[in-house]
Amino acid sequence: MKFKLIYPRWEKLEGQTTFNLPPHGPVVMAADIPADVTIDFTDENVEDLVIDDSPDLVGISMMLTTQVKRGWAIADEYRKLGKKVIFGGISAMLHAEETMPHADSIFLGEVEGRMPGVLEDFRKNALQKVYNFMAKPPEMNLIGPANRSILKKDLYYHKGFRMVDLFHASRGCIYDCYPCAVRFLGGRRFRPRPIDRVVEEMEQIDNNRLFIVDNSLALDSAWEKDLFRAMIPLKKKWVSHTIEDKDEILDLAAQAGAWYVYQAVFDTSDYIRNRIRQYHDFGIAVEGTILLGLDNQTEDDIKKLIDFLLEINLDLAEFTVLAPFPHTKAYADLLKQNRIFDFDWDHYNAGKVVYYPRHMTPERLQKLYHYAWDTFYRDEPQTMKMFNLITRVINREVADGTYAPRRRDLIDVSFGREVTKSA
Amino acid sequence: METNPAFDKYMDRYFDYPGQWDTPSRCGLKTIRRNDGKVLVITTEIYRQNPGTPVTEWIAPLATMLLGYLQEQPENLIFIEHTPDLGSRLTFYGETFDRVVFDWNGDRFINPKWNRLSKADVDQLMNG
Repeated sequence: MKFKLIYPRWEKLEGQTTFNLPPHGPVVMAADIPADVTIDFTDENVEDLVIDDSPDLVGISMMLTTQVKRGWAIADEYRKLGKKVIFGGISAMLHAEETMPHADSIFLGEVEGRMPGVLEDFRKNALQKVYNFMAKPPEMNLIGPANRSILKKDLYYHKGFRMVDLFHASRGCIYDCYPCAVRFLGGRRFRPRPIDRVVEEMEQIDNNRLFIVDNSLALDSAWEKDLFRAMIPLKKKWVSHTIEDKDEILDLAAQAGAWYVYQAVFDTSDYIRNRIRQYHDFGIAVEGTILLGLDNQTEDDIKKLIDFLLEINLDLAEFTVLAPFPHTKAYADLLKQNRIFDFDWDHYNAGKVVYYPRHMTPERLQKLYHYAWDTFYRDEPQTMKMFNLITRVINREVADGTYAPRRRDLIDVSFGREVTKSA
Repeated sequence: METNPAFDKYMDRYFDYPGQWDTPSRCGLKTIRRNDGKVLVITTEIYRQNPGTPVTEWIAPLATMLLGYLQEQPENLIFIEHTPDLGSRLTFYGETFDRVVFDWNGDRFINPKWNRLSKADVDQLMNG
């Protein structure tokens, strides 16, 4: 049986450096596909999709809201050819009702232990319209290593540099952060994976650099410390979202290979300033994630925030405008107040304003978004700041013997496409 | 569907409901029978104590369930959605009250619309 698994393309943010990372959802799902099924994976962000009539079943895996319209279009094409199409992934869950008209089946929830049954239904021509496992998460010890063998790894290099591999050590979150849908997707309970299973998977990844995509590692101190202790011998270098700011934990994280962390910067307080300093004290770099257009921000607040970011020596900053994704508190609040004016999901890339901000016009917020990027990177461009971060990790890798040199054969290639040396 | 028509003047409890995709969900529920006979229904989002679908996302089906639970007529209910103050520095986690009005399609509530209320407005609605 041939299962064609597709990861739809989306439009990248204008003016920003584009990096295509190997997707995570498809490889997690592929781990649950029985060995007698051949998986033909296409990541449309790095290769062209050929729509043909050879697959037995088509799967469309979607992570972002900006992927859904393209995913639906692909499904419509395959269904015209008489092929059955099943959807899954984060944004299939966020947009389930709208996806259904384009689907023969939609999978909701977490996949472990479920795909053999789904495929058996397909073989018996009894595919269900909805596989709903939203309230039935699997046992965490069932989550084994993802199946990264489906990836065409050479496509995830930029001029010889390999991109990080994505990895997850937990699911769910106890918080209800304003712009975040993890509460809906993974439930309100923090569910860490058993440490031995985490290590088992990390050991198998032939990439020294990882992005641990968990919403937050800072939700269970004992587990977090055990995790970092167990990671030390692996010598991986990694990026993650929040980790706890206790000295003991930061020290362990640094020993475990913490390269840089994402830190939400939502005000100009000493709390933020001290937190950044603390990371730096332990040799951990910080990429600030700055959400613009919240109801408590005036134009003046945004400008002050950008000045503050320069003052606290953030290593990188990523600016986004609030995108009210379905199943977030932001969406609920703005919907209640009738403030969302654009429901074209292609525009939900966190770079376009789709709602009426409280203290300014949408047009003004759009300008401030560009002002933020331009101002933060005016004196030291983004490419230079990234180069500094890369240099930092290379130095550590050289020191501990894990450095893998750039691939010379891919020096003129960026994500599968040839580039000129100056590009 | 469990029903509880026994309340006389006032009820304050948790209410468990099947949320979207049947996820077990919970909210706070206060009901007050006003002197004019109408029933004020205040649902409270309880965040971490709610394992499933938030009240806002499920307000129309939830209102329909509450109608059955209270064994009332649609036109006899006044709905208020309440979010408590979480003590956050972020303003959008402050306390809010919204009156929610729906269309009734003969079978269930649809098309919710929210209107922000002050505490004084809520007090007034309580007293009828």
